[in-house]
Amino acid sequence: MKTKIFKAAAIFLLLGGFQFISAQNDLAPIPIKLPKAMFVGTPTNLAISNLEKPLGKPRPPFMAPKGVKNIALGKPVTSSDMYPIIGDLKFITDGKAEAEEGYFVELGPMKQWVILDLQKPANIYAIVVWHYHKQPRVYYDVIVQIADDAKFTKNVRTLFNNDNDNSSGMGTGKDKNYVETAEGKLIDAKGQSARFVRLFSKGNNGDDLNHYIEVEVYGK
Amino acid sequence: MNDKNDLNRREFLKVSAAAGAGVIFSPYIKTFSKDSFSKDLNIAIIGTGAQGQVLINACLKIPNIKFKAVCDIWESYNLQRAYRLLQKYGHKLNPYTDYQEMLSKEKNLDAVIIATPDFWHADHAVHCMEAGLNVYCEKEMSNTLEGARRIVEAQRRTGKKVQIGHQRRSNPNYLHCYNHLINEAEILGRITTVNGQWNRSVQPDNGWPKPNAIPAAVLKKYGFENMHQHRNWRWYKKLGGGPIVDLGSHQIDIYNWFLNAAPNSVIASGGTDYYDKKTHEWYDNVIATFSFKTKKGVVRASYQTITTNSNQGYFESFMGDQGSLTISESAGRVGVYKEPGNIDWEKWIRMKYLEAPVDEKPASTGAVLDVRETVAPQKHKLPILFNDPYHKPHLENFFNAVRGTAELNCPVDVGYETAVTVLKVNEAVKSKREIFFNKSEFRI
Repeated sequence: MKTKIFKAAAIFLLLGGFQFISAQNDLAPIPIKLPKAMFVGTPTNLAISNLEKPLGKPRPPFMAPKGVKNIALGKPVTSSDMYPIIGDLKFITDGKAEAEEGYFVELGPMKQWVILDLQKPANIYAIVVWHYHKQPRVYYDVIVQIADDAKFTKNVRTLFNNDNDNSSGMGTGKDKNYVETAEGKLIDAKGQSARFVRLFSKGNNGDDLNHYIEVEVYGK
Repeated sequence: MNDKNDLNRREFLKVSAAAGAGVIFSPYIKTFSKDSFSKDLNIAIIGTGAQGQVLINACLKIPNIKFKAVCDIWESYNLQRAYRLLQKYGHKLNPYTDYQEMLSKEKNLDAVIIATPDFWHADHAVHCMEAGLNVYCEKEMSNTLEGARRIVEAQRRTGKKVQIGHQRRSNPNYLHCYNHLINEAEILGRITTVNGQWNRSVQPDNGWPKPNAIPAAVLKKYGFENMHQHRNWRWYKKLGGGPIVDLGSHQIDIYNWFLNAAPNSVIASGGTDYYDKKTHEWYDNVIATFSFKTKKGVVRASYQTITTNSNQGYFESFMGDQGSLTISESAGRVGVYKEPGNIDWEKWIRMKYLEAPVDEKPASTGAVLDVRETVAPQKHKLPILFNDPYHKPHLENFFNAVRGTAELNCPVDVGYETAVTVLKVNEAVKSKREIFFNKSEFRI
């Protein structure tokens, strides 16, 4: 009897192991192509609370099912500021994350949002956002949401929120402030299905303006 | 979040003038503290590139400043960006690509901010003063002493207020150190040595969005051979002064200020050792040593600016026989350190000139102190918290001087003295010999 139980357990573990290995084999690092690092100019004071400690090394690969790619590439973007100070909303999904002049869109002061329309529902595994990495800036009240409709009334899910006093009125967030780098900020979307991605920000430590170089949405 | 731009409740000394009224910049409502004077000033800015944008953003946090005009030769980028930005803050203004057209059409200006490449400063500043305007001119006054001299002479001739953009001269941390620690308390004792640096990482040349390139004819009209030169003018000898002027000038200005003296000699080594000499005519690596004869004795002051490694960033450090002061625009680096011995700083702590030292845990390396070394001194912080944009107090000082309620913190005489001090470093590098200053060189 004991032998039978042992054999059954062994077969179960073996199958489980195969399944685990199989699942691992189905995963691959998402193919983020990082831009050139570029901190220039005079740094501003970074006397900012609730600031995430820099990792101090390259971000580890983010694993997602094979075949996941940037499904935001070339997709339409709308914004609370349809008359940007400089640049074009198209820059946000043009696949170029460089920090140089001509790669970013500068939106007006205080709270602003952009919405990416993926044009059909998709399983989203990660969102990577570069606001502006030419200087070590911190953008305030960064909130990232996904939803099923453009008005964000259906199945709204908040993936990231570092507005820890709810000054943007979107709910209190528990995520930390972070310094912009060429790596962008990677937000785990856990494979959830959505068609629309909305990002808020409310100025930065250098000025009251809002910038986006690129937003990549990894899914399929 | 409330504490983003807010001061914490730590006791601090507020040096810049401020206090109470609200101003509304439609459509964005901002609340400002009341300025000591409420008179609106109508201003314009010439040069809206990177530095111009910094100054515009600082001005947006100062009440009663009305932008009436912006001017930049890069119409499809810099000019558009500044114009739209100011529109979003409710300013009713006109854009120009030609500053002389702006001066001829804008008849209601009080002052102009000049943030153009150094080789344009003299023409812009002189013509603005001759048009009856007060001028905030970015440092360096000029890339040549002749240009700097023209600005001084025009100021004397017209009597206009001219502030040179050495913004540390209005920084609350620097003012506190100069007024209270160095001059009043003489807390460092006899200063014998100064060192400072601005080290930066390797950086690529500035690029530009190709569809927005300035037409060749426009570039030529304004003194640039091509777009690369326009975007990287600081490296070119006819246009700028290189890193020792762009970076070092701010800090060497502090040497003169804190020592209450101009140097009597400089010796320097430097070269374009890393970058392409064709596109980086000025030296990417400069190490200079000044000597000063102060009322208390000789001071040796070294300074380095390198553009290939950012180790320890930027700071100035003043060392005396009683203590040391390390100061930087980056507030986290500021500290005052007492020399070992029977030196009592309790009085200054009680007077809130310094904070009491904070016990910092020593690194647990297991190492035994070498008896030949002295014990590391404790760090005293300054009782000041300054979170405003770096340039805001200097601009406020200028605007209040225009209103007649303040004295300029960096008038042309001061700016000229610093220009002489700094521009001579490049001359010392080239000549490979010690250059001695004649006192008369610093004055016009």
